Amino acid sequence: MEGSDTYLIRPNHQNKFKPAIVKECIREIVRERLSGKRYEPEEVLELSRSLAECIKDRVKNAGFDKYKLVVQVVIGEQRGEGVKMSSRCFWDADTDNHAEDLFINESLFCLAVVFGSYYY
Amino acid sequence: MDEYHTEETAFAVEDVSKIINESVEAAIGGHAYQHNRVNQWTSIVVEQCLSQLTKLGRPFKYIVTCIIMQKNGAGLQTASTCFWDNNSDGSCAVKWENKSMYCIVTVFGLAI
Repeated sequence: MEGSDTYLIRPNHQNKFKPAIVKECIREIVRERLSGKRYEPEEVLELSRSLAECIKDRVKNAGFDKYKLVVQVVIGEQRGEGVKMSSRCFWDADTDNHAEDLFINESLFCLAVVFGSYYY
Repeated sequence: MDEYHTEETAFAVEDVSKIINESVEAAIGGHAYQHNRVNQWTSIVVEQCLSQLTKLGRPFKYIVTCIIMQKNGAGLQTASTCFWDNNSDGSCAVKWENKSMYCIVTVFGLAI
C-alpha cells in the first residue's frame, strides 16, 4: 500500500538522517570542486551557488525522502582574519539532524552545512 | 476547523528580520572585534534570536546561523539552497556591520 507512509510521524531507521553519510557526500563534492582553486571574487559567487545545488542533489539522492533540507555554503578568502560561525536549531531532536564539513587551502576556506528536518 | 489556518501560517520575513536586528544590536552593537570573545558573541546572538523566535508561538522549526568575521579586507561569500515547501517555508538573512567586524545572521523557518 503506497499511501501508508503518510501516517508515519517518526522515520524508519533506514530513512533516518544519517550525519556521517551526509558528511561524506559533502566532503567528496567540496574536495573535488575546490582542490587547487584560488579565491576569485567573481568566480566565488557562482561557485558557492553551484556547490550548494550539487550537495543538495546528492543528499536528496541518498534516500532521505521525508526530509526537508537546508544547505548553506560559506566560502571566504584566507587572509589571516578571524571568522566564527555558529548555529542553533529549534526542532525535534529525535528526527532532525545536521552535518557539516570544513575545507581549507592556502587561499580560501569553505564551510558547508546541511540541516535535515523531518516532514511529518 | 478552518480557524487553524490563519494568516500566520506563512513565514513572516519582516518580523523575523526585526528580531534578528535587535538581537545582534543587543549582543555586539558598539563592540570591537576581539578574538577571545567571538565564541561567546555568536552563541549569544543565536540563542537570543532563537528564544525570541520561539516566543512568536508559530508552528515552525527554526534553524539560525550566525557568522562573525573580522574586517580585514578579505572576501566572504555565503550561499544556501533549500528543499522545502515554498508556500509555507522561508528564510531571512541579515547583514550587519560596524567598524571592526561583519555579522551575517540567517534564519530558516520550516513549517510543521
